[in-house]
Amino acid sequence: MKLLVCVKQVPDLESRFKPDAAGVWYNETDLAFRMNEYDEYAVEQAVQLREKLGEGTELTVLSIGPDRVVETIKKALAMGCDNAVHVQDVAASGKDSWQIASIIAAYAKDKCFDVIFTGMQSQDRGSAQVGVTIAEQLGFACTTTIVGFDYDNGTITAKRELEGGIKGVVKLKIPALVTCQLGLNIPRYPTLPNIMKAKRKEIVVIPVADMLKEEALVATGSFHPPAKKGGGIVLEGDVADLVEKVLAILKDKTAVLR
Amino acid sequence: MKTLLIGEYREGKLLESTYELSGFAEKLGAETAMLLVGDENSLPAYNGTLYLADAVTCGEYNPDLHKKLILETVQQENPDYIVFLHSSYGWDLAPRIAASLKIAQISEVIGIQDNGSFEVGACNGKMRRTVKSATSRTVVTIQAGAFTAAEPGGTPTVRKLTADGGGRLEFIGYEPAEQKEIDLAKAEVIVSAGRGVGKKDNVPVIAALAKALGGELGASRPVVDAEWIAHDHQVGTTGQTVSPKLYVACGISGAIQHLAGMKKSDFIIAINKDKDAPIGEIADVLVVADVMQFVPALTAKIAR
Amino acid sequence: MEATRQIYWNIGHGIVLPMYILAFAAIGVMVWGFWQRVPVWRQGKALDRFSRYNERIKRMLLEVFGQTKISRVTDGGLYHSIFFWSFLVLFAGTLLVMIQADLLTPLFQFNLLSGQFYKVFSLLLDVAGILSIIMLAGLFIRRFVIKPKGLEIVRDDYIVLQLLCAILVTGFLIEGVRMAATELQQNPALAIFSPGGLLVGQLFTSVPTATLLTVHTILWWSHFALVLGFFCAIPYTKLRHIFTTSANAFLAPFEPKGSIATINMEDETIEQFGAVTIQDLTWKDIFDADACTSCKRCQDRCPAYATDKPLSPMNIVKQIGELAVGNPAGNLIETVSQDALWSCTTCRACQEICPANIEHVNKIIEMRRNLTLMEGAFPGDEVRTAVSNIEVNGNPFGLAYAARGDWAEGLQLSLMEQDAEVDILYFVGCYASFDKRNQAIARNFIKICTAAGVKVGILGKEEKCCGEPVRKLGNEYLYQMTAAENIELMKAYNVKKIVTTCPHCFNTLARDYKDLGLDVPVEHYSTYINTLMDTNRLKLTPEPFSFTYHDSCYIGRYMDIIGQPRNILMQAGGSITEMDKNGYDSFCCGAGGGRIIAEEKLGSKISEARIKMAVDTGTPLLISNCPFCLTMFEDGIKTGGAEGELQVRDLAEIVAERIAA
Repeated sequence: MKLLVCVKQVPDLESRFKPDAAGVWYNETDLAFRMNEYDEYAVEQAVQLREKLGEGTELTVLSIGPDRVVETIKKALAMGCDNAVHVQDVAASGKDSWQIASIIAAYAKDKCFDVIFTGMQSQDRGSAQVGVTIAEQLGFACTTTIVGFDYDNGTITAKRELEGGIKGVVKLKIPALVTCQLGLNIPRYPTLPNIMKAKRKEIVVIPVADMLKEEALVATGSFHPPAKKGGGIVLEGDVADLVEKVLAILKDKTAVLR
Repeated sequence: MKTLLIGEYREGKLLESTYELSGFAEKLGAETAMLLVGDENSLPAYNGTLYLADAVTCGEYNPDLHKKLILETVQQENPDYIVFLHSSYGWDLAPRIAASLKIAQISEVIGIQDNGSFEVGACNGKMRRTVKSATSRTVVTIQAGAFTAAEPGGTPTVRKLTADGGGRLEFIGYEPAEQKEIDLAKAEVIVSAGRGVGKKDNVPVIAALAKALGGELGASRPVVDAEWIAHDHQVGTTGQTVSPKLYVACGISGAIQHLAGMKKSDFIIAINKDKDAPIGEIADVLVVADVMQFVPALTAKIAR
Repeated sequence: MEATRQIYWNIGHGIVLPMYILAFAAIGVMVWGFWQRVPVWRQGKALDRFSRYNERIKRMLLEVFGQTKISRVTDGGLYHSIFFWSFLVLFAGTLLVMIQADLLTPLFQFNLLSGQFYKVFSLLLDVAGILSIIMLAGLFIRRFVIKPKGLEIVRDDYIVLQLLCAILVTGFLIEGVRMAATELQQNPALAIFSPGGLLVGQLFTSVPTATLLTVHTILWWSHFALVLGFFCAIPYTKLRHIFTTSANAFLAPFEPKGSIATINMEDETIEQFGAVTIQDLTWKDIFDADACTSCKRCQDRCPAYATDKPLSPMNIVKQIGELAVGNPAGNLIETVSQDALWSCTTCRACQEICPANIEHVNKIIEMRRNLTLMEGAFPGDEVRTAVSNIEVNGNPFGLAYAARGDWAEGLQLSLMEQDAEVDILYFVGCYASFDKRNQAIARNFIKICTAAGVKVGILGKEEKCCGEPVRKLGNEYLYQMTAAENIELMKAYNVKKIVTTCPHCFNTLARDYKDLGLDVPVEHYSTYINTLMDTNRLKLTPEPFSFTYHDSCYIGRYMDIIGQPRNILMQAGGSITEMDKNGYDSFCCGAGGGRIIAEEKLGSKISEARIKMAVDTGTPLLISNCPFCLTMFEDGIKTGGAEGELQVRDLAEIVAERIAA
């Protein structure tokens, strides 16, 4: 069997974001990058399936972006992926979800993948489109936001996370794509021998131009911090004073302390 | 301008959130038509054309079939916008429609700009983007709670849809959420603990404030995932959506999923050491302080 | 009459040959017993502990004959030391008798054991014999009657105590019977120089001589047989410690305390990291098990053990020994248990007190290395998160790395990337950089330096976690990654001197970074401030306060900095009330060994136990000089219910408040 997992490198969300010069995306200075959290669940699930299937199964990790994404690819390799593809694109952050999905679909279309794993969304853009769009372009069965995954003899049984803690159970036949959600698994911490092996593995580099034939369907106007909600009060200072102020507000504005 | 609104059913019941779609259309100033895969005994109070397929035959979750129904309706109605909720149903289905029609999709819209752009969140709610569709027709998913629900009213003109073909997904069934011992939805006061409380041992400090205020203990998702607090206390899109008179967020930075679950609270007090935490955007009062210093002091004063 | 005695009286010189043959046979059995042990030790990996012979021998002689380590604990230790010296005198006396009888007399017809010398000799040996018996009785009562908590009673304890007792008692019986038949009748004035023999002899004065001779013969042979038994028993009972513990005084490391083997990450042939079987340990680690006498001093001082966690350093050493003999292929980590391994705070109290020079901490770290590097295991999910935060943001909190230098806003210091010409580089560490409470320490330290006219530089957002917590948790890879970045940076800035406020950064930079190529003087602020005061660069206006001081493990035990912080605080006007456990015997706060980033889920809280000790001093103020300790104590005061009773403050805060205008 052939498995593919798609990963994105995103800035750590604790970072302080500032718009870039064009004002359409973040300035990368002072940002710490890591693997998109949801993609970590995808990699873990893919590796678990690869281990379950054993010999004869190949798991490829793919990432699109500038050279820094190699770190994220290496992490996926260290977690247990067999092969790696880096679609080199210094301008990846400017591509919309349709274009990103098209790049991946263009790569995957003649590779006969049986199962593709993606995160349910990226932490920075958060559009939750790429996975499903890849599936549509490839004609794969697809389900999203999974918190449970089981594979048996060509059929995936997935648990989708729905609102309010309810789960929906679905079965789908391969070839299929699933998008992974928090709660699916606990991503493994790569062992040192695997980190070492990952360092020696070859990463196939493909220029994005070879893969992308599509125009963007969405244009970003601006990237900016949210406007502060009007009327919100910010209290700072000594704890004892803060307590007095908050008590006064509670008495004044709510019926709770009467 | 015309919108096609795609509502949702869950276990045979129309979801109230469907009215938020109408709210969005109102704000956009657009005509509407609606499509539901649901039950004719549980129809929305809605003035307009309602395309209705039967969920018993078509399934509540059957993306292939629902896609087919939506595409047929799009042919009929020729809408400018196809609007979903950004929900497990919406984000699953919307990209299928967008990809099939090769049109733009704008996800998790929180605001409408005058120039035809939409405002969406970025970086887990820390930032915003304005985006504009480059195609004549656009798929939109709207963030839960971002648009005021339209007042239910009227009777729909129902046009029944039928579909055949099973689709590639087989829906097995729902698994209930873990049993809840408390009902946060009915609580008048909720005091919630976030990752900022530091550790499990500090949870009783937050619970003590909840008790002093006569309220319930809530929690953000990370705290529940860390098993500091049971899941039935979780507030947010994957927990419970709440609207108490007073919501006190202790050490909750305000991930978008959490904000969506509690932003309808009448009065919000947030205690956070980070002045720039997203929770500050929706809080009526943001107390910049260490939770473990401030909360016990406040509890002591209230208890007195 | 001449003061002497006839050697081999009633036994005859004909005994000499069989006696020596039997004696050598017994020694042969002993050597063979140890020889059989060699393959057990050799299962471990190579390690050089034979360099610097002279120093090693000197240390061994001092520790063995000076009884310097064992006597540090009075209970048991004092008995042992007096017994050792007494028994040594008896042993030397016996050797002298042999030399006299089988060398001096036959070859030189010279009798050393006569006259005044004989009187002293006889008295000394008798007193030594009596002391030995009293000490044995003391040890017997301690072990079997008082039964100190945690002291196990095993087969060996019966054998060793009874055997030694029997040897001593039969010795006195032989002497008494001999004296009843000879001295007491012929030269009673001499008998007073054998008080033990005299006491026994008087019991036999009415017994007919013929009977005495028979009894004497039987006793002599019994005594001899017991001595032979003693030699034979050495390798097979705890008596082995006579040699193994002594050998450990020779084999103990010369490296600075806390040194951990730095794994060569460039070596691609290494496929196995850390220890999961005893073969992954060094031979010395296995030998340590044979040097252990289960005195449980380590266990008594282990903060994890004291707070009901499943860790006893003694037990780990024992388990290694049992596996090495009984199940060499067995899984060491399963035997010891992950919970036990993760419970260690690497406080080094065990190793510091061990009379046998056993190296507990590195064994635990080696096993943790296996868990971390080979299994990707963590003590808990919170540690997984913290470790990933260090990977991404260079701090365990996961806060934006770019904000690392924000605490310094408005202070008089230099950012190295702008101006690297500084007197000292202040390596701030994660806690003082990001933690609100600890930022006060960083600011106060800068205030102190400014007052002393010291130009301080910081790395700001370029600084990363020193890697200490992850290294102690076994993640050598991440440690070396972050360390390499720090080192490269500090080299590039041509740093001349580094000062830290964190003992963990201090140990790591000063000692561990050497292995990775950084050789710059590193100092902890407690000695640095002390020097500033001694050289009159920093002047304080003393204000009286009473306090108790907590020795951070990594300052006291690891770095021998005990007096300087106390000196600073005294000069600041403080009057100290020491906690029972202070200095080298200090009790950990619970945060060492990477535990600072882990939740304490097992047993009770170590910090609360320490807070209680501080409260018991009756002083209102606990002073520490470690960000981890401060964090743990701030917590421990709240959760331990000591609020209002005790306040914890940092050394820098006390000093900064008293800077002379």
